[in-house]
Amino acid sequence: MELAAMLGCPDVAFRQPESEWEASVTAAMRGAFAEHAEHNAFYRAQCEAAGVGAEDIDTLADLVKIPLLPVRMFKQPDAHVLMTAPLTEVELEIRSTGTGGVPSVARRDVKTVSRVMTAIFTQYREFFQVGKGAGLFLCPSTAETPEMGMVKAFNVLNGLLDDHAYIVRDYAFDPEEALGQLDKWEESMTRHIIGPPFLVGRLLRYLELEDIALKLDPESLVVTLGGWKRYTGESIGREEFNAKIEKYLGIPADRVRDMYGMIESNMLAVECEHHRKHVPPWSYISIRDVENTDVELAPGKTGVIALMDALSTGYPAFILSEDVGEVDHTPCPCGRTGQTVSFRRRLQGAELGCCAVSIEKFIDSQEIVAECEIPAAAAPVEG
Amino acid sequence: MPRYSPTVVDHFTNPRNAGELDDPDVRAFIGNPVCGDQIMLTARVTDGTVAEIRFRAHGCAASLATASVVTEAALGATLGEIEAWDDERVEALLGGLAPDQRHVAALGRQVAHRLVTNHREGVDDDAPLICA
Repeated sequence: MELAAMLGCPDVAFRQPESEWEASVTAAMRGAFAEHAEHNAFYRAQCEAAGVGAEDIDTLADLVKIPLLPVRMFKQPDAHVLMTAPLTEVELEIRSTGTGGVPSVARRDVKTVSRVMTAIFTQYREFFQVGKGAGLFLCPSTAETPEMGMVKAFNVLNGLLDDHAYIVRDYAFDPEEALGQLDKWEESMTRHIIGPPFLVGRLLRYLELEDIALKLDPESLVVTLGGWKRYTGESIGREEFNAKIEKYLGIPADRVRDMYGMIESNMLAVECEHHRKHVPPWSYISIRDVENTDVELAPGKTGVIALMDALSTGYPAFILSEDVGEVDHTPCPCGRTGQTVSFRRRLQGAELGCCAVSIEKFIDSQEIVAECEIPAAAAPVEG
Repeated sequence: MPRYSPTVVDHFTNPRNAGELDDPDVRAFIGNPVCGDQIMLTARVTDGTVAEIRFRAHGCAASLATASVVTEAALGATLGEIEAWDDERVEALLGGLAPDQRHVAALGRQVAHRLVTNHREGVDDDAPLICA
């Protein structure tokens, strides 16, 4: 299938027979690689140094030859050299700031934005089959954080719903407000909860402490994105998370769906009901040996995640991440084909860097400021 | 109006005065902790005039261009002249900004003012101060 056909027919694209999937992914990557190698002087130099051209990409096994850009390059002040498109074509600058404080900025041109919006919308429809209901977004709005990748991705989901509320404002989260909003929608709309795991976790903690067990709706979904490790280093356990959602929100585990992506790539891997994150066929994940990232590891082996994305025309989105995980090529019971990806951890020495980490860190710092605030002088007692 | 002015495109693509001076007379560092925009200026000041200046910046294209434009305008200017800059002045130097880019004018003005204040008070910034 051609790229445009895959974006337009996701149900077919995600269920291509293995050989067709291989051909589709390879063709999409070869096309994107050829464009960047031809129009991007910086990237062309990498290709020449590696001695690789588009004519060398024939099969899936050849994708390992495509030169990768280390993700930390997107943090560099001279990241303009990464651009294939001129700044005049750039429509969106999406960023993420991790624990280190230096933002990673991904500049997407008009064509990429059109493709990515279509891709994400298409995946939400394909995996969630959602087209109505209300979304409780446990994150800031795009008005408050217009360039934050995670929020931007969530906001596309908002477009499929009938009503929504963003519960994080001025980097403060009030679980009582969240419950009030869910109460307001009860009996009138299917209620979905969308947010990074740590904020869903905060809501669950509140429900647990207050001993409140809700029963949301039969079609309710919990959709998460943003990583399972807090900025403090503490991990959120998925099994426990799912169990608490079932207990305190009344949503079964198969309707709790996590996603994996990174702002520098346009790839968003969305979980099916079997909790496998499906890599869309316009992307390819190559797992690399930690000791030598030129070497691709077989499916099932754990290594550094390299994300290759055919949607990007703004810059070569062939990125060597600082994430560690593995891919699985075995058939998924949901019937979708291609790769699924599992994130395990950050590479040793890599900072915790994602939108969720940045939000949580700032919420915590605001709460500390509020706790330390000197109370206003008491009003004089009349009498 | 195009999303980026020709000046922003030019300075983003061909930044002037990028880098950091060794042993500068003054260092000013302003940043936004949420969005991550950061500008650090290092300068040498002779007889109240900026004789040499460099920047390091992280963030959106407009903020990188702002850092470059600010150093170009500050070079050869007196500290008094820089102190008189306001947001409008920085926006004018950039050839105009889209509404969602205007925060960088404040960032540019604040880091320039900080440079003047730090020089006057004999202090340096090691970490970014939070901009408004």
